[in-house]
Amino acid sequence: MVTVKLFGTLRLDSDVKELTAEADTIRALYPLVLAEIRKQKPDSGITEKALKSCLIAVNGKQATPQAKLRDGDTVYLFPAAAGG
Amino acid sequence: MTNYCGYMGKVLLLDLGTHTAENYIWTDLDREKYIGGKAMASKILYDNLTGAEKPFDPENLIVIATGPLTGTGAPSSNRFDISSLSPLTGITSSSNCGGNFGHYLKKAGLDALIIRGTCEKLSWIEINNGEFIFHDARELRDLKCGETQAALQEKLNAEHGKKVSCGMVCIGPAGENLVRYASVISGERAAGRAGMGAVFGSKNLKAITAAGDAVPSIYDKEGAAAHRKKWVNYIRRHPLTGEQLPKMGTAGLVSSMQVHGLLSTRNYARGQFEQFEAVSGEALAEELTVTNSGCLSCPIRCTRRVPVDGKTVKGPELETLGLLGGNIENANLEQICHWNYELDELGMDTISTAGTIAWAMEAGEKGLWESGLRFGETEGLSKIFDDIAHRRGIGAELAEGSKRLSEKYGGKDFAIQSKGMELAAYEPRRAVGQGLGYAVANRGGCHLNGGYLVVLEGLGMNVNGQTPHGKADLCMVMQDLMEAISCGGQCLFTSYGVVPAFMVRNPNGILQRAVNAIVPFMGPAVRIYNKIPEIACFNIPLIPYPTELRYTTGMKLTLGEFTRIGERSYNVERAVNARFGVSAANDKLPKRLTDTLQDPGNPKTRVPLEQMKRTYYRARGWGKNGLPGEKKLRRLGIR
Repeated sequence: MVTVKLFGTLRLDSDVKELTAEADTIRALYPLVLAEIRKQKPDSGITEKALKSCLIAVNGKQATPQAKLRDGDTVYLFPAAAGG
Repeated sequence: MTNYCGYMGKVLLLDLGTHTAENYIWTDLDREKYIGGKAMASKILYDNLTGAEKPFDPENLIVIATGPLTGTGAPSSNRFDISSLSPLTGITSSSNCGGNFGHYLKKAGLDALIIRGTCEKLSWIEINNGEFIFHDARELRDLKCGETQAALQEKLNAEHGKKVSCGMVCIGPAGENLVRYASVISGERAAGRAGMGAVFGSKNLKAITAAGDAVPSIYDKEGAAAHRKKWVNYIRRHPLTGEQLPKMGTAGLVSSMQVHGLLSTRNYARGQFEQFEAVSGEALAEELTVTNSGCLSCPIRCTRRVPVDGKTVKGPELETLGLLGGNIENANLEQICHWNYELDELGMDTISTAGTIAWAMEAGEKGLWESGLRFGETEGLSKIFDDIAHRRGIGAELAEGSKRLSEKYGGKDFAIQSKGMELAAYEPRRAVGQGLGYAVANRGGCHLNGGYLVVLEGLGMNVNGQTPHGKADLCMVMQDLMEAISCGGQCLFTSYGVVPAFMVRNPNGILQRAVNAIVPFMGPAVRIYNKIPEIACFNIPLIPYPTELRYTTGMKLTLGEFTRIGERSYNVERAVNARFGVSAANDKLPKRLTDTLQDPGNPKTRVPLEQMKRTYYRARGWGKNGLPGEKKLRRLGIR
């Protein structure tokens, strides 16, 4: 289980601050995050493409979309407009 | 008089001692060379200061200068500049402000106001259509900035028998009591840095009001309207100026800085604050922001408005959140909003106040100087701020700033300042180009005067922040461009648009990653441009400033000529500083940033300053002493 925290306009536009998900890669996280956003705010207009363009940090350090995740990791997603 | 539109064609020199005013000769050739704003002010200081003056001497000048775009309706063009010898640094300094005074100074018929001398008693000056009236301000003594402005508005209304539409600048108790980092306030906006408020105080000048009926003319109204429409659309579509800044203000950078290791924490001991979320732009937006607002004619509207004591007031900027947050180990957002308001009311720079407090906390911890201040213990700070503003108790010492305190008590290595000015909230050991900028900036530890390379090194693009490669040349070109933009009267936030939107929107894209990887190796190419900017004998949409200036003033400028004006501005400011003893030896950072690794396991997490400085001086065409020679000044037409 990993914790995902959303930042910047992604968070303000989706009303989702944080969620937990089962995923072993960042790529696998995208659809899960999107599903949560759509559940919370169906009209947010946020797409998977927007999520994929986010800057990523794992446990406070910058990471790439290819990064592997381990149980207990915390993932930050920053939309580019947050100063990526 | 001037043949160019946009300007009012009048610069006045006002003597506070004799209450006399004379026209200061400022020709169209000067306008072509310096445009206006801080470049104009630097040239005026260059022509009038010998190097013998001290900041609090009557001979010190205050230059309040607008740009030709100020008050013309161009996007984000409400800025004005206050320049003088700084009591914090002892050298020339400028402080830029988004308040409405510049707009009204032009309505009063002036492009700039030069002030010398000292009033016999505390006074305020009313400017009305170019006429001056001196008023006794003794009953305003010790009034805070909001109270002062309200009282002045009331007086003006009573005097004229109607509500007077005017702009104001004023100081609070901090300026009156010569706190070295006292600010000047206009409306809710501050000319915050470098202690311009203390220079006002030393001249017994409490406030200036400006009003009038003049309107700056526009050279090509239709062209300007079409250009502005296009530009505003671009600003609104850009991810930084159209999304982040309107929705989160500069506070939106806190979280990103945390991830990049750029968030000053515990007096710059670290670049990450564990509780950053509590003092982030997200928290500010979700928990406290009532609405956003902006300066006159600004489509960005970056100001947060937050509740404090039952009022809705201007919220804290990133600098204040960082420096009164993680840098003193405080995670109480409401408290920061409160302090931000208090400091503006007292008329004190939030950055230097917070930097000095952080130094005192560490000095206390290390047993060098006991002020009672400790990291994470923030109760009673409001009282300390008030004591600083009134120079009471330890406040009298804190009012001197971190450099002077560290010279007296020790702890220079962790006095986070350059040339006496405390650094902004960007921790430079993960953005070494920003570190170079802090060190070489003419006015001291300023993020903007330093070229703001952090926007490339993490906050806009993702260029490697730990390599010194290319940074000296990039620093120079960014400094010159920002100088020129500021001279026109526009807000530097419009320059976020210079970073192409596609680079910001998808940092993970192949092209974007490639560009980020290549930028550090572009030093030689950038250097060619820096040496001969005139090769850019055209304009590009990403840098619309020269085109805007042409439509507004009639002055034909290419991108290259525009950059050269920025270079001239930077050099003339440096040449004034040279008279006051500045050289390469003053372009330094505290050892914490140059000698101590932010991450002990990563040898690149320090600022390799000396190496970058050498390249920077070469790029600038300066000597090894870090100064422009006679030949350079002549080539730039300064001499």
